[in-house]
Amino acid sequence: MSVDVNDLIDMDRGRVDRSIFWNDDLYQLELERIFARCWLFVAHESQLSKPGDFVTTWMGEDHVIVVRDRSGVNQVLLNTCPHRGNRVCHAEVGQVRGFVCNYHGWSFGLDGKLRGVYEAPAFERTPGFDMGDIGLKTASVAAYKGLIFATFDPDPPTLEDFLGDFRWYLDVILDNDPDGTEFVGGSIRSVLACNWKIASENFAGDALHAGWTHESAAQALFGQSVPRLSDDPDSFAANVNGHGWEFNLDLVGNAATLGDRQILRYLREREREVTERLGEIRSRMVGSISSANVFPNLSFLPGQNAFRTWHPRGPRTSELQTWVLVNKGMPEELKVAYRKGAMRTFSPSGVFEMDDGENWEYSTQANQGFVTRNQPLYYGLGLGTEIEHPDMPGHVFRGQINDANQRAFYRRWAELLTDPPTAASGR
Amino acid sequence: MTGERARNVDFDAVLALEVAAFYALEARLLDGERYPEWLELLTADVHYWIPGVENRYRADRTCSYSADHMAYFDDTLEDLRMRVARFQSGAAFAEDPPTRHVHVVSNVEVEATPDPQELVAHSVVIDYRNRGDQVGDTLYGRREDRLRRVDGNLLIARRRVVLAHSVLPSKNLNTFL
Repeated sequence: MSVDVNDLIDMDRGRVDRSIFWNDDLYQLELERIFARCWLFVAHESQLSKPGDFVTTWMGEDHVIVVRDRSGVNQVLLNTCPHRGNRVCHAEVGQVRGFVCNYHGWSFGLDGKLRGVYEAPAFERTPGFDMGDIGLKTASVAAYKGLIFATFDPDPPTLEDFLGDFRWYLDVILDNDPDGTEFVGGSIRSVLACNWKIASENFAGDALHAGWTHESAAQALFGQSVPRLSDDPDSFAANVNGHGWEFNLDLVGNAATLGDRQILRYLREREREVTERLGEIRSRMVGSISSANVFPNLSFLPGQNAFRTWHPRGPRTSELQTWVLVNKGMPEELKVAYRKGAMRTFSPSGVFEMDDGENWEYSTQANQGFVTRNQPLYYGLGLGTEIEHPDMPGHVFRGQINDANQRAFYRRWAELLTDPPTAASGR
Repeated sequence: MTGERARNVDFDAVLALEVAAFYALEARLLDGERYPEWLELLTADVHYWIPGVENRYRADRTCSYSADHMAYFDDTLEDLRMRVARFQSGAAFAEDPPTRHVHVVSNVEVEATPDPQELVAHSVVIDYRNRGDQVGDTLYGRREDRLRRVDGNLLIARRRVVLAHSVLPSKNLNTFL
């Protein structure tokens, strides 16, 4: 790389060089220094209730199996046979006793250890062959209140340190009920011709687009526009370690888009209990007009309860996987209402999401033009709005119509890209 | 299902043609974004369902799609009306200029049901979509409908579309299948 990453973003002025959405070398650097290093969301604990339960997912472009082993520990295994490299798991969800490679019959336990080989005597006669030396590459695994994260960093910070005080905000959705959360069944996957960062930064902080981009959905659902947010005195952007959450305190602004009275009643009825649990501010964030991103690529919408990851597929394409999060203790009919409502609003067929993809695709694809990608982008909205807040931790900014979280996202991005990996990384 | 069971022994050529013509009309309305007219082809109690499809092992007792899992559409008539209202709001910027659709419906098979007013129809739907100067994409799905005769006209009372895609090959599903 001949480019100095720090020359590509100027967050004091709020400027971004568009090559970060296009350049192949930068993309390879992202795979190494962000996706092979950060704690990445891989599954919800509710997807793995019994030993042998597994899901497969992506950490960057590395395919992994997330599986509960016989001792009840959640393992994250690189889905590639150490013999010739074939996948050892071809389903995206299910229940297994182990993993067997289709190519030469090598079999692995739920902990990733090599358990058996086909034509074993030939291997046993081979000098230096030791089953104990060979297995599926494992990642470090940790969970925060139901969300399982993994990292291939050989010397990672703790997940607690990685999330930092963002946990205070995460508790709004992960810990507003004593029984915790779960994913409803299944997930939906789709492909967007956009850079992963354009989607992630949108969820980290882009309240500005809500009223404009999503006018059609607001009209269809409510017969009126999304409320103007720029003068809302109780509206904020908060960020910690590059993670961002933009929000107001209207309790039900996002949730109202689900168009279901029983959901609104549920939120209002629980407000007092949530206040006792999390305090007044966070009790007003549970379903409010808001969006969030855990760096680098786990995004969610409080209120709609849509969770998603933007898996990078080269600098110009992303694969989106969407789930729906509900409180485990919620009545069944409410879980159904959330599942259907989240899909109707934020899935590839959702009336909100349908208007996002086109914007992000052209924000990416326009950069094919040499002159185009040499034009800087403006990220200066809300410069100088940082405040000290007595209750809210992290960097807090007045007004959710703000680029503050996007700037924090790119600061973190540049910090990681300019930090060379230690010798053992990715090995 | 045995070969004999799979074969439709009571083949009704006139009815099969009527259903095929009904689907051709429906496809033409969808291609023309004539969504309010399309809604008139549905019964008031319609259930319109396009489930998400997962890659699961054959031994898995859970099907690759199921009623309690996430779906692209899991809609009542009221839900479908809301979606049509979005298309018609004049603010669906991602649809302006419009997407060009070609819905192709084929492999139509019709089965009688115990209810003389209702029949089951199987079909395959393909939708080629093209926007702006992009290459476009093609969606494939197998449909099973419950059609009901109301005042002499066929209406869709239940539709299930099982896509051939575990990953939707594009950013959205901006039509009905």
